[in-house]
Amino acid sequence: MSKQITHWLDDLLAEIEGIVVRRKSSRRVRVDVPADALPALLELLQGRAGYIHLSAISCVDWIKEDEFELVYHVWSYESHSLVSAHIRIAREPGVYLSVYDLYQPAAFFERDIHEMYGIHFEGSPNMEKFILTEWDGPPPMRKEFDSEAYINEHLSWQEYNPEWLQELVAEGGGVIIPPEEQRFSQKKK
Amino acid sequence: MRPENYEAQRQPPSNEFELNFGPNHPGIEGNYALKVKLHGDVVLEAQADGGYLHRGFEKLMEQRLWIQNIALVPRICVPDPSPMELCYSMAVEQLCGLHVPQRANWIRVMQLELSRIAAHLFTFGGHAATTGMYSTMYWGVADRDLVLDLFEEFTGGRVYSIYNIPGGVRRELPSGFLQRVSETLDYIESRLPDYDNLFFKNQVFVKRAKDVGVMTQEQALAWGVTGPNLRATGLAFDVRRDDPYLIYDQLEFEIPTEESGDAWARTLVRRHELMESIRIVRQVVEALPDIHGPIRAPIPNPLAWNVPAGETYTRVESSKGELCYYVVSDGGPKPYRVHVRGPSSMHAVQVLEKLSVGSRIEDIAQTMFSLDACPPEVDR
Repeated sequence: MSKQITHWLDDLLAEIEGIVVRRKSSRRVRVDVPADALPALLELLQGRAGYIHLSAISCVDWIKEDEFELVYHVWSYESHSLVSAHIRIAREPGVYLSVYDLYQPAAFFERDIHEMYGIHFEGSPNMEKFILTEWDGPPPMRKEFDSEAYINEHLSWQEYNPEWLQELVAEGGGVIIPPEEQRFSQKKK
Repeated sequence: MRPENYEAQRQPPSNEFELNFGPNHPGIEGNYALKVKLHGDVVLEAQADGGYLHRGFEKLMEQRLWIQNIALVPRICVPDPSPMELCYSMAVEQLCGLHVPQRANWIRVMQLELSRIAAHLFTFGGHAATTGMYSTMYWGVADRDLVLDLFEEFTGGRVYSIYNIPGGVRRELPSGFLQRVSETLDYIESRLPDYDNLFFKNQVFVKRAKDVGVMTQEQALAWGVTGPNLRATGLAFDVRRDDPYLIYDQLEFEIPTEESGDAWARTLVRRHELMESIRIVRQVVEALPDIHGPIRAPIPNPLAWNVPAGETYTRVESSKGELCYYVVSDGGPKPYRVHVRGPSSMHAVQVLEKLSVGSRIEDIAQTMFSLDACPPEVDR
């Protein structure tokens, strides 16, 4: 198995410019490529090395660097190894190419990333909303979206003090944690 | 009975109409919907509609401590929660370089396989109900309850065990527990011939499930299908054997396959897998008394735990297929990013849409249950 991986690794290093390959373990390889070289890399992996299964596309929002990281995890049923191809794209305008032509499962992941991060994939078959059908706010998985602040701005907090709880408290029972004793959640600075 | 102002609306002459199949429908698994366009009884077009169970787990996890997330992850898949705990824990262990004690690994395998048994029994029950065989449904749910009793005893939780933590498992097994596991397995195995007679060999089921929702191996590979659905097309691929984790490489088990790729084949693969899981748990029950040592590695103070910066991708074979977690740490007390790749995100959306087209309306439930779609994994 490791021989097979070494074999195509040499090919890749020779054919694609600016590529960095790292062996993480016997079945995991990390590849960093410039964004414009990714389709060529995936085509090579799929066509020549048997990486026919797109396991997932993950998106990471690196807000400090003003970049999105897209990670394409592809698996080979022949060599039993997983390659994670990492690319970085600019946060604005947040546009990238679809890899649907190579891998059909990409349609779901690209639609999901478009919905959660606002990245548009050119050529993807369906960029309609799927999960957040009734949501008109900003893409919620972006780091600048603060869900607690959004709630405070758009909704109002209600006191929860039903009768049965009042009775319990009057009897000296019930569980009420005053804010100053709350350990991590909702603690105001 | 007509109101006075009633006027029959003139429609263009057409036999086509649209139907919302779900989100509240006995033929749909969980809160999920299919918008179908019909010509008579035949489906012309199907569009999956998710989001009814979206709880924002990935965002929530970024706002919680590494250890707090253990209580969140099992809720992502209700029928089979244990692989979720394990997959997340393995990711944190890899980021921290934690070495898990051997005994913990064996206990984890027992938990995972018991969870698979429970999930498959539950699926058989739901699937049988779509063909009107409610006895099998009651049996499946009742026998699953026996496995949940075991979970309650050794983890404290019936459905969400919250038992795996990064570094190992939370508690030692109660005394005499392995004996009770053996008894439950013996009972479930003794029930399988009854299941065969009532459900798997029953012509009511066989005739409904054969040649329904057929997918070839090429299609399954192109559509990213994994797990029992892929094995029903003849490809013997299992993450447990081909990308092994824990101690699966030390265990003996077969990978059952079928060739026809229809609803019947998919269900039969699960039926055989149930037997293989029983076989695996028996091996664990036999080996565990001789494996001594701690059940978890020492971890730092979990409330002030900064996981070293890095990223990792972990894979586990859940009862529905390939479950993966992509976890990124920036060296802080909370995860920077957690991406959950539920196995159903493939076969509950694109594959279900494609397989439904051309089938009859009554076969949609058959297709969906035989794919073992789990909507909460899609919505997250």
